[in-house]
Amino acid sequence: MPESEPKSQETERAVFKIFIRGTIDAVWREITKTDEVLSCFFNMWLDTTGLKPGAPLRMRTKSRKYTGAVGEVIEFEPPHRYSHTFRFTQFDDPPCRVTYELKPVEGGVEFTMILDDLPKGTKTAKQMTQGGTMIVNTLKAIVETGRPSFGVRFLYNVVFPLTEPFSPKSTRSENWPL
Amino acid sequence: MTPDSMNHVFEALAHPVRRKILDVVKDRPGCSVHEVCDFFEISRIAVMKHLRVLARAELIVSRKEGRTRELYFNAVPIQMIHERWTTDYSALWASGLTRIKYRIESMQPRSGTKRQAEKTTEAPAPLQRKRRA
Repeated sequence: MPESEPKSQETERAVFKIFIRGTIDAVWREITKTDEVLSCFFNMWLDTTGLKPGAPLRMRTKSRKYTGAVGEVIEFEPPHRYSHTFRFTQFDDPPCRVTYELKPVEGGVEFTMILDDLPKGTKTAKQMTQGGTMIVNTLKAIVETGRPSFGVRFLYNVVFPLTEPFSPKSTRSENWPL
Repeated sequence: MTPDSMNHVFEALAHPVRRKILDVVKDRPGCSVHEVCDFFEISRIAVMKHLRVLARAELIVSRKEGRTRELYFNAVPIQMIHERWTTDYSALWASGLTRIKYRIESMQPRSGTKRQAEKTTEAPAPLQRKRRA
């Protein structure tokens, strides 16, 4: 595709679904809390002016020095549905959309994460689809066992602190105010 | 994952047609039942039956968009099987080993060795859309 092509980017959708043994409120809290880092989303802080449609979102690292992703709330209907736009700060791809659906079922919650408008063939699409399985699995582990799996904890406690200082300058939080 | 739901996953994966349906849907997120049927000689009803088994195992998620039904591959149950039997260390080594396996296999001559013949019965790559009558 020539580079001058206007943004008629082909997009795709991905769906991740998992059953979680726990209450709907516990699951809802894990994806929306702002008083602790979100262990299911790569141990990042969710910074926002208040979760309601139109409000900006910033996903910041544990030290809050870097901002990994930015977006805006589209729908916010506790504890069943939440949707927001999403864009990685280090890629120049158009934003995609993330929707979480929580449905109470016997013995727990059916959790579905839908990724929409993924720009086909981009780094964003790749990272989002790879990250999706990890996010829903980690969410399940946290709600059911109180913490992420060993591998994910290793990633958060050992790998992230080592790699964070090498994040691109453009992702520094001062470039991404609320 | 409950013992019951894991049974559903293994039951779903136990049939070659259902595994092939997963290949088809994985490559075409959001495809319709109709599109899936194009890849198989069996009846639409049989395909629907297989899809129901896959949906029960949550390997396929179907979402209604207006009048149509869109199918998506859900990798989560597969990941859970993986996590059940691989500790975090063994996973690292095992994935290294499977990488080596795929690399070596891809280096083998393509012409009709026995191994190759066996492989083609279920290789995901050479999926061909059935020509419409």
